[in-house]
Order: sequence, then structure tokens, then C-alpha cells
Amino acid sequence: MNYERPELLDRLAAEYVFGTMNGRVRRRYERLRARSPAADAAATAWEARTGALAQSVPPVAPSPGLWSAIDRRTGGSGVDDAPAAVRSAIGWWTWALPLTGLVLGVLGTVAFVRLAPDALVPIDQVVQARGTLPESYVGLLTDSTGAATILASSTRHGRTLSIKVLRPIDVPAGKVLELWALPRGGEPFPLGVVPREGKDSVEMADTSEKLLSNVPRLAVSIEDGPSKPGDAPEGFILTGHCVKLW
Amino acid sequence: MAASPDLAGLLARIALGDRSSFRRLYDATAPSLLGVALRILRDRSRAEDVVQEAFVSVWSRAASYREGAGAPITWLTAIVRNRALDALRSESRHPADSLTDDEDAMQDIEDERPNPLGLLTQAADALAIRACLETIDGSQRQCLALAYYHGLSHSEMAAHLGSPIGSVKVWLRRGLEKIRRCLERAK
Repeated sequence: MNYERPELLDRLAAEYVFGTMNGRVRRRYERLRARSPAADAAATAWEARTGALAQSVPPVAPSPGLWSAIDRRTGGSGVDDAPAAVRSAIGWWTWALPLTGLVLGVLGTVAFVRLAPDALVPIDQVVQARGTLPESYVGLLTDSTGAATILASSTRHGRTLSIKVLRPIDVPAGKVLELWALPRGGEPFPLGVVPREGKDSVEMADTSEKLLSNVPRLAVSIEDGPSKPGDAPEGFILTGHCVKLW
Repeated sequence: MAASPDLAGLLARIALGDRSSFRRLYDATAPSLLGVALRILRDRSRAEDVVQEAFVSVWSRAASYREGAGAPITWLTAIVRNRALDALRSESRHPADSLTDDEDAMQDIEDERPNPLGLLTQAADALAIRACLETIDGSQRQCLALAYYHGLSHSEMAAHLGSPIGSVKVWLRRGLEKIRRCLERAK
């Protein structure tokens, strides 16, 4: 199907925005939207066109815990349910206190690193201070013998996929290693080219959350050059699970 | 939204990490966004989860708001509707069970709230396109309302209306073409 035909895209976008697509077709349109500016523009135009229709829906008061959960997940204290006016008056303290904790934690870690150089890299200082790993997607790819070969990770709302090659991969000269996402019930789509050894990072077309939330598996194939959306992969030489780290 | 704060201004400050603007945006918009999510998902805790995910993403994506995406409330509504529809579609429901469950659940909501066609008519009144909306054939209008407010898919709509899926698809396609002209007239 030629998705670049404007009238077809417009009709699909209308059905996507109105919500009549089943799950599989909907996810396909979302992937198309993530990589095609024309598909994104068609959907955005329908969203803008129909937004006013939602305004007749009666509002529903959220339960008090909803703001606390949002506040906590975006780095706030998560305990303050005061109205905005009150909150802005004490707002300075609500972020200053955790920040103080963070600074002390980092200082403590820095002191530790000075005593034990090379033990930690900078991201670890932050993790150490927070006490938990950030919300991330993580993939571990193995070869046909089951040996762990590539570790891929990205923060949940980030666009950078960090790649660590755990054991060097044999690639014929002039070929590249392409990393693929294998979505549930959909066609594989390329994420980017990964190195044959060492570490690298891949800039993705959208955030991990957008691209990977429906992707249970990742795979690597050998290709003649970088793959484009819509390309089909050659055979996979590495595969593995993609999991949410939260 | 009695005080009707400047939502675009709030989004601009949220993009710079201003938490008090974030809270004001939440106070101003969460009730209407929750209403939208609840009509689609018909389950309060799942609807609140969707609104939570939406606001968490707004906190990191506020800078990506562009006026081309419509008014700020339109942009926020699209984020919430898309997430609610994704959540609705990701359910692995047994079709035979879901029909009866859905009827019951929708009956509960319809007891106290306007039905989808009523919501569409109210929205058209607010946009001054009621006359245009009424030129759209009744079954087409019914399909548009069931899709937009309740998130029914083609097959669910066919079951709900007791009509063949082929007819539903045609009604919906014609309805979309017509409502597009009405909505463009509203601008």
C-alpha cells in the first residue's frame, strides 16, 4: 500500500483519530506516524479538527492520589496535595529538599570515587544518589549458542539507545549490523546500525516509550547498508528480549 | 476551567521545568481529560492511569507543543485519547464476553451522562455547526459519535448497532467526509 497518497493517508488518519481501527491496524498507523512526517501531519490535522468535540464531555474530578502519583513520577515530592496557589508559595522547599539530598548523595559518591577511582562512571553517581535505576528499556541479545552479545538500553522517554557489544561480532567487510525492533503482531522495523565491538549510541526516530512499548523482542541482522523504515531484514544473527526496567 | 488560564503560557513555562505551572495545568485540565478517558475506558482506575501517563509525558514533552497542533487543550486531549484508545485496544478481551460486559458498563454510564449522540450534538451547538451536523445521515452520525466518544472499533460498532460491518464502514467513511466539512466551517 502506498501510504504517501495524501487522500489515503487522510482517510487513515481520520479513522486513527476517531479511534475505529483495531489494535493491530492502530499500532501500524502509530509506527507509520513515528517515521512519516506526512502521516504525522495528517493525524495532527484531524486531532486539531476534532479537539473541540471532546469539550462536551462532562468533566470528572480526579481522585486526590492522581496528582501525587504524577508529581512523584516527574521528580516532585509526591506528598503535597495543596492547591496550586499554596503550593507555589512553598514550591521552593518541595524541590530544594530532594535536591539537597541529591547534592549530598552526589558529593558522597564523588568522595567515594576519589578514594576508589575507576570504580564508577558518572551515570552511576546519579543512580547511587537516587538509589534506583531510571525507568528504561533494556535488551540483551544473544547469538545462536546463547552467548550474551549485545546490551541495548535507553531511558523510557529518551531517544538515545546505548549499545554495548559484549563480545566482538564477525561482520564481512562492507556490511553493517542493523538492530531491529520486533513489535507484537507487527513487522520488524529498523532502529539503527550498531558497532561490531565496543560501545556506541544510536539516535532513534522517536522516544523509547513511543517505539518500544509494544516491542517484546529485538534482533540484529547483517545488511549491505543502513536500513530504512519499510525495509525487510535479512536473517537475524542475534535475538533477545526487550524488557521494561520499572 | 472557570478561570481559563493561559494554557499555552503554562506549557511554555513547563518546558522550562516550572513545577507550579505544571500543577496549574493539571488543575485546569485534568477533570476534562479524565472525563474523556473515562468515557472510552469505562473504568476509573484505568482512566486515571491514562491521565497519569499523559501528564508524565507532558512534563517531558511540553516543549514539543506547537500551535499547528491546535489549541493546547486540543493537544492534551489528543495525547489522552490516543493513550486511552491504545489501552482499550491492548485489552485481550473475548469478543463474546465483551459484548455483554460493554453493554452493561455503558448502560451504567448512560444512566447519568448524555449518550454519545447527545455529546456530539452539544459539541456541534458549541461550535455553531448543529445545522451542518444534522445534514449528516442518522446512522452515519451515530457511528461518528460511538467512535469518537466511546472508542468503538468497526466490529464493536457493528455489534452495538446490530448492522453488518460493511455498512458500518461505509457509514463511517461518509460520515467522516461530511463532518470534516462541518468542522472546517466551524473555524
